[in-house]
Amino acid sequence: MKIDPEACVSCLGCIDYCPMGCIHEGEVLFIDQDECVECGVCLHTGVCAVDAIYQPEESLVYPRAIRKQFSDPGAEHPNFKAWGRGTEEAKTNDVTGKFSHGEYGMLFEFGRPVTGTRFTEVQKIAMAICDMGIEILKENPVYGLLEDTRTGRIKKEFLHEKVLSVILEIRVRKEQLPAVVEKIIPLLADVDTVVSVGLVTRFEENGSLPVIRDLEKLGMQVRPNAKINVGLGRPLIS
Amino acid sequence: MSHSLHRYGSAESLKNDFCIYSRAARGVNRDNCGEKLRKILALYLSGKAVNFGSSHSPKCYLAGLDLEEYAKSLDNSYGIIATFADRSSVLGVLKKMKEADLGISVVVSGLIDEVKEIAGEAGLVPHTALLSLGTHGKKSLLPEEGTREIVTMCGHSLVASGLVRSVARKVRAGEQTPAQGALQLTRPCTCGIFNTKRCETLLEKMCETGGKDRTDE
Repeated sequence: MKIDPEACVSCLGCIDYCPMGCIHEGEVLFIDQDECVECGVCLHTGVCAVDAIYQPEESLVYPRAIRKQFSDPGAEHPNFKAWGRGTEEAKTNDVTGKFSHGEYGMLFEFGRPVTGTRFTEVQKIAMAICDMGIEILKENPVYGLLEDTRTGRIKKEFLHEKVLSVILEIRVRKEQLPAVVEKIIPLLADVDTVVSVGLVTRFEENGSLPVIRDLEKLGMQVRPNAKINVGLGRPLIS
Repeated sequence: MSHSLHRYGSAESLKNDFCIYSRAARGVNRDNCGEKLRKILALYLSGKAVNFGSSHSPKCYLAGLDLEEYAKSLDNSYGIIATFADRSSVLGVLKKMKEADLGISVVVSGLIDEVKEIAGEAGLVPHTALLSLGTHGKKSLLPEEGTREIVTMCGHSLVASGLVRSVARKVRAGEQTPAQGALQLTRPCTCGIFNTKRCETLLEKMCETGGKDRTDE
């Protein structure tokens, strides 16, 4: 995103709206192009009374184009045909059966909340995951950015790009969970952003979620709130 | 999207904070699902939804989304989400959804035990859960607790910490009511999962306490 210096009246109204805090005062207001993730909040909210904020053509040119694709929920991933971060995870598991009993989905969401991330940080964890012999799931826009799906290395041209958030999604067999928690969670302390972690699990027939106890034994704190698929999809995969 | 998953706050703070997301699945029931989504929209509206929208709509309902245009646009969509601020509304909507039997997957965000209980009362059997294992990494980058509770109500991180602090200052100074502040804060969140009712309560609390310092989980 950019601000037209001829049109801007320096009212400062847009500054607070930027999730990355990258609108600054100079002679006129300007957007730090290295930090801007092209989320478009400054434009879409209509906060500029004189329409000085615009999306320049270069925002849509690769590799920078991926900033908008991962940061603006209204942008569609061109090769994936989905909006936002683009993963179905637990949402439709009652009809897709993507995750079965005896396995879990794990989601590592980089840059959220509010910090944003560069793909250098995503690569650190992607490589560690692949090093364990675990694949990054294909049904996710990140997969298309991988240079080597076996190593988790991301294409060089995308490494420095900054986005609001990125989800690395993997499938973990029940017996692999302790190793993943013990190896990957400590590595998160060394990334230069925050990472919110999610875990997809099936309910047992008695309505319990035994993985919560397993996670607590591994030292993980499970939050009291979650997303629960209530089984209304049809045809239902039981 | 895991976007309503990592809402931050104590169990008490999250008690009246629910999202219901209906989502058609690629390769299963997504084709021509627009009419079903419109029926779901009507169910949401009959159930006192606080707000609603979807990731590709230009703005959420409370920020001025044209309801008629939005309903038409659902022919090109595959999901619709709404936010609720009380248990009875969620129960009512789930009962109607069960009766409507539209075959679209439905995910409810909220406190685990409470959602399980509500689902049971609606005659539903929870199938899959997406659990939050918290936020890790460089937590020194996170905003202070009150601000964090508010910004995480937009799962795409579109509500800026700076905007929350600015609104809180105005509310504290009597320049805005908490309701006006919440309405301003929902504008960047096009999905409509920003719970303005909870936000009002959090803004009031921030004004009482003056906010807290950075926190660890």
